[in-house]
Amino acid sequence: MEDLKIGVYICNCGTNIAKVVDCDAVVESAASLPGVVVSRPYKYMCSNPGQEMIVQDIKEHGLNRVVVSACSPRMHEPTFRKALQNAGVNPYFLEMANIREQCSWVHEDGAQATEKATSLTRAAVLRVAQHEPLERRSVDMCKNLLVIGAGITGMTAALDLADAGSKVYLVDRADRLGGNVARVDLTAPYLDSARDMMTERMTRVVEHPNIEVLLNSEVEDVSGFVGNFQTTIISKPADGKGTPTKVTHDVGSVIVCTGYKEFDASRITHYGYGKLPNVVTSFEFEKMLRAGRVETKEGKAPQYVAIVHCVGSRNMEFHPYCSRVCCMTALKYAQEVKSAVPGAYVSDIYIDMHAFGKGHEDFYRRSSEVKTLFLMYAKNDYPVIRKAGPKDDCEMLIEVNETLSHETIEIPADMVILMVGMEAREDSGEIARLVNISRDKDGWFIESHPKLDPVATTTDGIYIAGGCQFPKDIPDSVAQARAAAARILGRIAKGKLDIDAVFAEVDEDHCSGCRMCNELCPYTAIEYDAEKKRSHVISALCKACGACVAACPSGAIAARHFTDRQIYAQIEGVLA
Amino acid sequence: MTFEPKIVGFLCNWCSYTGADLAGTSRIHYAPNVRVIRVMCSARIDPTFVLKALTDGADGVLICGCHPGDCHYSEGNYKMMRRYPLLKKLLADYGIEDERVRLEWVSASEGQRFADIVNDMTERVRALGPCSVKTDLATDMAER
Repeated sequence: MEDLKIGVYICNCGTNIAKVVDCDAVVESAASLPGVVVSRPYKYMCSNPGQEMIVQDIKEHGLNRVVVSACSPRMHEPTFRKALQNAGVNPYFLEMANIREQCSWVHEDGAQATEKATSLTRAAVLRVAQHEPLERRSVDMCKNLLVIGAGITGMTAALDLADAGSKVYLVDRADRLGGNVARVDLTAPYLDSARDMMTERMTRVVEHPNIEVLLNSEVEDVSGFVGNFQTTIISKPADGKGTPTKVTHDVGSVIVCTGYKEFDASRITHYGYGKLPNVVTSFEFEKMLRAGRVETKEGKAPQYVAIVHCVGSRNMEFHPYCSRVCCMTALKYAQEVKSAVPGAYVSDIYIDMHAFGKGHEDFYRRSSEVKTLFLMYAKNDYPVIRKAGPKDDCEMLIEVNETLSHETIEIPADMVILMVGMEAREDSGEIARLVNISRDKDGWFIESHPKLDPVATTTDGIYIAGGCQFPKDIPDSVAQARAAAARILGRIAKGKLDIDAVFAEVDEDHCSGCRMCNELCPYTAIEYDAEKKRSHVISALCKACGACVAACPSGAIAARHFTDRQIYAQIEGVLA
Repeated sequence: MTFEPKIVGFLCNWCSYTGADLAGTSRIHYAPNVRVIRVMCSARIDPTFVLKALTDGADGVLICGCHPGDCHYSEGNYKMMRRYPLLKKLLADYGIEDERVRLEWVSASEGQRFADIVNDMTERVRALGPCSVKTDLATDMAER
């Protein structure tokens, strides 16, 4: 074997690392480790000059291994692997030590953080010495697409791919297309009709020769890997009778667009939802607007309409986050009530007015001009809604501790509209397991990177778009749908996919043929050869979890890039 | 000077390592005693990793994986969950205190939970004092 020539690079990350960790001390300590020929600090290793420094050192010093102590490998491992590759070194001869997310950002004591950074860097140096060159695999990219959820997001993504020539399977549990937007009347802030928008989308989807719509259907299984998934879809007959049908299709990518559900307003008892007949949710009010009949349960035109914001949102008891669309929708209601019931009094009871989007401030101003009474309440200090007495000229009375005037104000209402927030669907956990993606604490699907990779997920080939990732309005949902479609089209254009070289391998000389691993593998990627009496791994199916490696009684299976020797070296490194 | 325990952490890539990264991006401060080694899945953690860490001088070993039902590889954490009691039995036979080796589930969104676990475990192992496995082994070797 050629001599080890390791280059070690300690990133300052501006001051993100350097303000806590003494980077020069880490550099100095690494310099004395066996095989290290270059050890340097740099302001930003991920920058072009930072990467160029590695490339130059490889050329000049003949480096054959590289350690970068910087941010999480989940962030920049691909960047530095590419730098090695550009310099003609196998990209798997890189190891990163995470001295930012798991060191400088979480520790205050400089001396202790420096000691930890030194220790993690030493472990990386010892580990990289054990690395082996690996070759990435090239696989075909199937053009077909599975879209789960046929709301505005799913339909838009489906159309983009179908227009480009992909066969798209568009699946929804419901018996109709359109999702939540199909329940909406006009849209804020330009008051265009959701119905018109949806009709255009739905007609195109239904008529598109490349889109197969599967309603009353559920995705039962997604197996395989990026570019090469197999999916099984079960469809119930539309009339509910007869046996469900099951189909299997090959797809290269999956976009999850399962949306959200509305908050259950009866959970906040102060509002009397479900008890007071004229307290309605925003979606129930949309239904009235779509039917063109804004009236109370008794069939009267409401003279006093009150709108309550943040129902279930921005509240530690329910959902701490803002649901993003309700403020503008509430303003839309103020305008729609005025046009449906001329002379009606509208009060808008809010916590803060979030008017962040394009055209939103103008819309807010216009709504103020139609004489809406705005009343501000504090978070957690719920307005209380009660039935009015026989002498009052209204159905209900709402008591608000108004924060701008510091007064308790009682306002009349014949109808109260609760702006219910968005929450993750009950089936989000099931969907997450189906396609192998993660959810955050509120149940929303987690993106690969919140800023730089917002529609990809940690499972390659699975994308998320629209309300299932976090509450968002129609423009943002559509933008994500088209972003996901563009990501997939980019890969289809390339034709072939490079996939990770990391998978398990059986050393047939040591395999005893016990077949224990065959049963353990969640992907049935291990096959038994009855003639040879040995097991072997089908590398394309292996996802490199390493369960078989730890279980093999003969120690005959190696996890490439996570071998026992590499992990032992790391253990020795952190404890030296 | 207070005793600073050395703890080796084996974290699965998808949930727990990401959760530990989230503690970082959220600037949640915690004890600097755990040195993290990333594995793809908690099912990859061979019991020999734990034994090696202890014999090489670790005072504790923390194993973190995805919550049951949330494994990136669908069921790897269940494999770890089954292996773990056997490992603990073996460690008890060696006289290694129960609290030195710990299995916890940390999801990608539980940065605070990861920090809390590290702090709690550091305190508990600190209270136990240094793990004697490494020195005992050295004495045994010397006597042979």
